[in-house]
Amino acid sequence: MIITKKKDRKKLLESTGRYNRFFLLGCSECATLCGTGGQEQIDELKKELEESGKTVTGGFVAKTGCQALGTKVELKQFKEALDNTDCVIVMSCGAGTQSAVEIFPEKAVYPSNDSLFLGNMTRLQMFDERCSLCGECVLDLTGGVCPVTACPKGILNGPCGGTKDGHCEISAEIPCAWVRIYDRMNKLGRLEEFGQTTLAAKDWSASIKPRKLNVREQKDKKSGGEEKKK
Amino acid sequence: MSSSFREALESGKFVVTAEAGPPKGTDISTLLHDLDLLKGRVDAINVTDNQSAVMRICSLAICKIVLDKGMEPILQMTCRDRNRIGLQSDLLGADVLGIKNVLCMTGDHVLAGDHKGAKPVYDVESVQLLKVVDGLNNGKDMSGNELKGATHFFQGAVVTPEATPPEPQMLKFQKKVAAGARFFQTQAIYDIDKFKEFMVFARKFPVKVLAGLVILKSAGMANFLNANVPGIRVPQELIDEIRGAEKGKALETGMNIAARHIRRLKEEKICDGVHIMAIGMEDKVPVIMEKAGLL
Repeated sequence: MIITKKKDRKKLLESTGRYNRFFLLGCSECATLCGTGGQEQIDELKKELEESGKTVTGGFVAKTGCQALGTKVELKQFKEALDNTDCVIVMSCGAGTQSAVEIFPEKAVYPSNDSLFLGNMTRLQMFDERCSLCGECVLDLTGGVCPVTACPKGILNGPCGGTKDGHCEISAEIPCAWVRIYDRMNKLGRLEEFGQTTLAAKDWSASIKPRKLNVREQKDKKSGGEEKKK
Repeated sequence: MSSSFREALESGKFVVTAEAGPPKGTDISTLLHDLDLLKGRVDAINVTDNQSAVMRICSLAICKIVLDKGMEPILQMTCRDRNRIGLQSDLLGADVLGIKNVLCMTGDHVLAGDHKGAKPVYDVESVQLLKVVDGLNNGKDMSGNELKGATHFFQGAVVTPEATPPEPQMLKFQKKVAAGARFFQTQAIYDIDKFKEFMVFARKFPVKVLAGLVILKSAGMANFLNANVPGIRVPQELIDEIRGAEKGKALETGMNIAARHIRRLKEEKICDGVHIMAIGMEDKVPVIMEKAGLL
């Protein structure tokens, strides 16, 4: 999931200072789990805004904030409140914020959170980065531990000289990705593979921004091509 | 003309290289003075590449100065600050300047240095960089494009014999050999018996190994290295030896230890040479060499 963190509240109130009527839009997925965009956080921000003399016209936890079409349908029930709103504060990730920009092309939209990384919830409200979305997954070759993400240098072929007691030179709190990979490969009986395969430098063109994926289009093209052949 | 450093190694001579850290700023007077002291005494000067991620003069420029002094430079190249285009371009540039040796490494993380907000690059890493050098030597760039004129590098890599755990480090050593490393320079070692065990492993491969030596200035420095530098382990008896030295003789004791280690490495033919990292005390290198019976 996308891990988010609340922006500094004072700064948020300052940056939205020119607006007076706010609608607060949360998200039931990642942001709720992160404690940044659930009902509780909406109520909290509502209180703070009202304390600083602002009006909150309404608030809603969207099912999936990054799904703009679905969110737009969900928001129909708040038409009156939204018509009466001059600024929507989105309490999810950057993608959720941009859904709102799409839904409200003429309204101010502000994010209440900073989007940090794609990760896992390890314990309640504790999160670890797990995937860099590099576009070319190597987990099949590394025993399921991602060196692109878990190694601060993203090394693809084994530990650097900075490993100390299985930990990273950057911080004793970071387990060395390549020691973890070694242990996994050892347990899986794949050590030989670990020693013999040299992973080539990554093709970073797979992560040139902005990325787009249209699976539907690919299918259409394929069938179109077949038709042409006939 | 081929690398005189390579010839020295291949001749079976016990080779000595010294590290030169480029200064931060354009005043190179101390560096020039140190080079004069080292000239004719060491086989090559290994020029660091923004070591510890602290921004300094680039390795390439200082290597050229080493060449102009009539000495043999080893260009250290890390992957931290340049992408594959920058690295290859600098390698081609190094070749035309007459630099024949390159030491490939991934590089300390920017968080270790003095520009912590810098974007770490690591587009490629040490093993891949060795392959890149091999490719350039064979007239091809990383994308497989034909070069108008190949490079002529004698390429090396680093290894940390005291990394914990050692097994993944040793597999990486093998990968570096397979990627074309011809010589290895180790992280500082202080336990010669333990190093001998590493060399039993390393001797299975067709590569030359230079033992890394860092001169101990004081017991405090030894403790600092143990606590803060991964892969360096100074045994307690050496720390006690320095602590037990007469007042004002700590550095001399440290130098004696280095000389003693060099002598043993050479006499017992444990490795092919030493790489002395004096870290600001380059002027002491000839003294240590003399004490070790190399001059």
